[in-house]
Amino acid sequence: MSFMLRCPNCGDRHVAEFSFRGEYLQRPQQEDEFASWADYVYMKENVQGKHFEWWYHGSGCQRWFLAERDTTDNTTQTTFWFDDRPRLINRESEPDA
Amino acid sequence: MPDKRLSSHAYISLSECDQAIAFTFNSKVIKARSDDTIASALHAAGIGILSRSFKYHRPRGLYDGYGLGADLLLAVDGTPNVRGDKTRVEDGMDVRSQNAWPSPDFDAMAVNNTLVPLLPNGFYYKMFHRPKWLWPIAEKFIRKAAGIGAIDTTGETVDTRYEKRYRFPDICVIGGGPAGLASCLAACQEGKHVLLVEEDPQLGGHSVHTATKVANCQDDRLNGLSEQDAAGAIWDELKTYKNLEILTSTVVFALYEDNLIAAQSKHDLYKIRAGAVILAPGATDRHLVFENNDIPGIMTGRGVERLITMHGVKPGTRAVVIGNHDGVYHTAMLLQGAGVEVLVVADSRSDAATTEAARIVNENGTPIQPLSTIHAAKGRKSVNGAVIGDIAGKVEHASYRCDLIVIAAGFKPQLSLLSMGRVQPGWDEERQVFRVEKLPDGLYSTGDVHGTASFAQLYKEGKAVGLAAAQGAEQPQSVRSKEDIIVALPADIPAKGKHHFICKCMDVTRAEACASIAEGFDRVETLKRYTSMGMGPCQGKMCYEAVARLAAEDTGLSTSVAVPTTVRPPYIPVSFGVLAGRSQHLIPIRRTAMHDMHQQAGATFLNAGQWKRPHSYGDVQREARSMREGLGIIDVSTLGKLGISGPDAIDFLQFMLPGKFRKLATGKIRYSAMIGEDGILFEDGTLAHVKEGYYYMSTTTGNQDAIRSLFWWWIVTTDFDVKIDNLGPIFAAVNISGKNSRKLLEKLVDIDMSTEGFPYMSTRNATINGVPVMLFRIGFTGELSYEIHFPSEYGEAMWTHIMAEGAEYSIKPFGIETQRILRLEKGHLLPGIDTDALTNPYEAGVGFTIKDNKDDFIGKAFLKNFKDRGIENKLIPYKLSAGDAIPSDGVAILKAGKITGRVTSSRMSPILGYGIGLAWVNVDQSTPGTKIAIRLAGGGDVIGEVLDHAAYDPEGVLLKS
Repeated sequence: MSFMLRCPNCGDRHVAEFSFRGEYLQRPQQEDEFASWADYVYMKENVQGKHFEWWYHGSGCQRWFLAERDTTDNTTQTTFWFDDRPRLINRESEPDA
Repeated sequence: MPDKRLSSHAYISLSECDQAIAFTFNSKVIKARSDDTIASALHAAGIGILSRSFKYHRPRGLYDGYGLGADLLLAVDGTPNVRGDKTRVEDGMDVRSQNAWPSPDFDAMAVNNTLVPLLPNGFYYKMFHRPKWLWPIAEKFIRKAAGIGAIDTTGETVDTRYEKRYRFPDICVIGGGPAGLASCLAACQEGKHVLLVEEDPQLGGHSVHTATKVANCQDDRLNGLSEQDAAGAIWDELKTYKNLEILTSTVVFALYEDNLIAAQSKHDLYKIRAGAVILAPGATDRHLVFENNDIPGIMTGRGVERLITMHGVKPGTRAVVIGNHDGVYHTAMLLQGAGVEVLVVADSRSDAATTEAARIVNENGTPIQPLSTIHAAKGRKSVNGAVIGDIAGKVEHASYRCDLIVIAAGFKPQLSLLSMGRVQPGWDEERQVFRVEKLPDGLYSTGDVHGTASFAQLYKEGKAVGLAAAQGAEQPQSVRSKEDIIVALPADIPAKGKHHFICKCMDVTRAEACASIAEGFDRVETLKRYTSMGMGPCQGKMCYEAVARLAAEDTGLSTSVAVPTTVRPPYIPVSFGVLAGRSQHLIPIRRTAMHDMHQQAGATFLNAGQWKRPHSYGDVQREARSMREGLGIIDVSTLGKLGISGPDAIDFLQFMLPGKFRKLATGKIRYSAMIGEDGILFEDGTLAHVKEGYYYMSTTTGNQDAIRSLFWWWIVTTDFDVKIDNLGPIFAAVNISGKNSRKLLEKLVDIDMSTEGFPYMSTRNATINGVPVMLFRIGFTGELSYEIHFPSEYGEAMWTHIMAEGAEYSIKPFGIETQRILRLEKGHLLPGIDTDALTNPYEAGVGFTIKDNKDDFIGKAFLKNFKDRGIENKLIPYKLSAGDAIPSDGVAILKAGKITGRVTSSRMSPILGYGIGLAWVNVDQSTPGTKIAIRLAGGGDVIGEVLDHAAYDPEGVLLKS
């Protein structure tokens, strides 16, 4: 992996400056069945294509943000703060997505 | 031996170099010129065989002189796999051949050559597999026979410092030939910061070894100049641009995503991140397949041109020249001018060439054979003859006695870097070459890599591409005129014989390839894997075109659907040193505020993450005993320290940690495990309520950055209103341990130090010598002990003060290794050492920190699941008997011959006088008093006894005293 990632705070940086925290997922509720917790922890979508994921700029501003990345070619379309997700992640409103 | 150095040349002026140097080749002293490559110097010295091939150990010599083949991989000054034809000789260099024993000239393994029928196609997969016992022996033998180069693992011969360097140009131009230079010029004129990377020591590409003059160039001042002078003129102009940096003798070996370029310059690794990349790697002579096409003495057109013009070396005495384009006459002319007798030029075309060079060659009396090409080379260790015939390989025309066969059969684009742009090349029927037409955004290509062309055309195209790259425009279309196109010869001249080598590295002949296709390996990729052609040290750089064309032909596909196999980095052999070189500025070294004091005290250090921590101050066993018997001090500054405050601080901690902390009064401390959402124990630490609403949490050294980022992630994704102060680097800390620690503290501070006034697991504020400190009465070591946290800037002063005040109690510093023994005596686990990614906290014995009857917290769902499942294994402390051997960490625990557990930590306890440890065992072995068999690494068992709690002071009397 050698691609450039745009930190919303610092701009374009080598991906090695960041650490990755996996797909953007909705945490289940405590009252949900255990199976949904098991899914949350272990069963990732592993999308071939675009998806939303977490990045941490550890060697930079040390802030967390979300990125939409295409897993096939590592191009990132958008990177944004968590608070901007309602505007940028529509799958919360689209159960199929 | 006749002198192969030229004193003059009939048609060109030779480069002058009178600096004589000497080096050794297989211990033999070789005289050379300072502008020689290793290969040219050896050729001049008459050494024809430089290596042996991979499988049959056939002799290999100088071929293209351009670093593409594996023929010239040599060991230079202890570094294996150096390209002899791209490396300049240096005075005193020690050069050795590889893959040949005892010498390349007489190679014992060449017996493989006469045993050819015994090594069939796909021999790797077929032979030696039955009987089964044969394979381990055969594999050893094959590895030895096939190995290339040996790394000096002693490190004794290598004292090189490898460095990493970084560049961030707007535009990086790879290749300094005519097109590359022109594109540099255009980009510089646009004001861009340009970096030009050239593999050779000089710029100009192939123009430096041609006598041709520039004509019809758009830049009129270049017309009439020799191509070499024209390249020089462009270079001179480029030198006036301050926005250009030129790296010569630097090889780009990889191109990665988003224009990250890796290049090697001797011992340095350049990492270049460019806004745009212009690839101008050029083209090299095609590898023509025919009978015995691998014998030393067969060289490429440009290979002999380079020998003559750049090194003043006469390539041979009697030559047969094979070609299919006008350039072959240029080559023949240069040979004649160097005094080589050119016996014939076999031109596959029907019409005679009309160039100036063709006229000269003809005037010199060399016959030109139209419609003919080579059928076979003759000779064993070197060429002694050539057979010329028709292109279909059916009719022989003539035989010649010669010592040199020159193949100038057109040029194949150097596609390696373009393919690393993640695009597959395709056969361009019109241009008769493999091409990559469309590259991903930000990548451009120009020059001979799109098919050879005149200097004027390359210049024009290079300028246009340079401008496009500078402006971020589309890649301009490359144009080639009919005159530029060289109609390819058949990839294999199908005359008789069974030694038509497609791949010279792996000795794969066309007959073998056909046999493999007949066995069903009828796709390029499977054929490659089965026959291993293109998989040798040259990685297909030489043969990719022949492999693809012949694979297509023999599988019945048309060349238009033939695709070369995938190209991956590295383009050249890269030494591990270059890849692993220093980049210290990217990995900081963190030292505590008391580092120098430890150094003065004779500490040896170990790396704990980025931190340097004292391992010990000499004698670990004595350190441990001295602390237990009196007083010890350890630097614990590297612990993570987080200050947690804000309106939701307690709610946040209740959520983050498995325990309950609402009742944690100010001044009190509690131990806590840290649990992931998956229920796994991954960290532990202490939480102190230092003042109303302000919590101070310590974490382990190695995890502190991860814990901090994790806390921040949860703050970002939840609604808790919390503030986290990263106090790790702000506070230094020491732990003072031992029965005299209270006495020392009483001297240092003026607060109530009694057991009642300052009980175990509580915290106080105080001042020491005017410095505000936080005191924590906690004890990892099991003795009465106090941790003192204070501002880092007082590190040395505090350490010095404590040591002076503690002298009367014989205070001694102890290191990490000692601490590991001490904590083991107390049975305390260390996350990451005694636990792993599957550790259930209940099984690890920290279930007491989990209070699952509270609202949502991290890991709650999984912890409930773990609890319901019950306990299968347990982490238990054990002790050995006095005199028992101390097992290594990680050894197995057995029951009735079956592995039922493992030791995670094992040490000798100096105070107890026997071995102690922590181990994972099956729950039925976990009852205190159970005997467990521990298998020693060297064989044999010792018997351990499972303990209830700590081996040392199990009731914790000392701790709480």
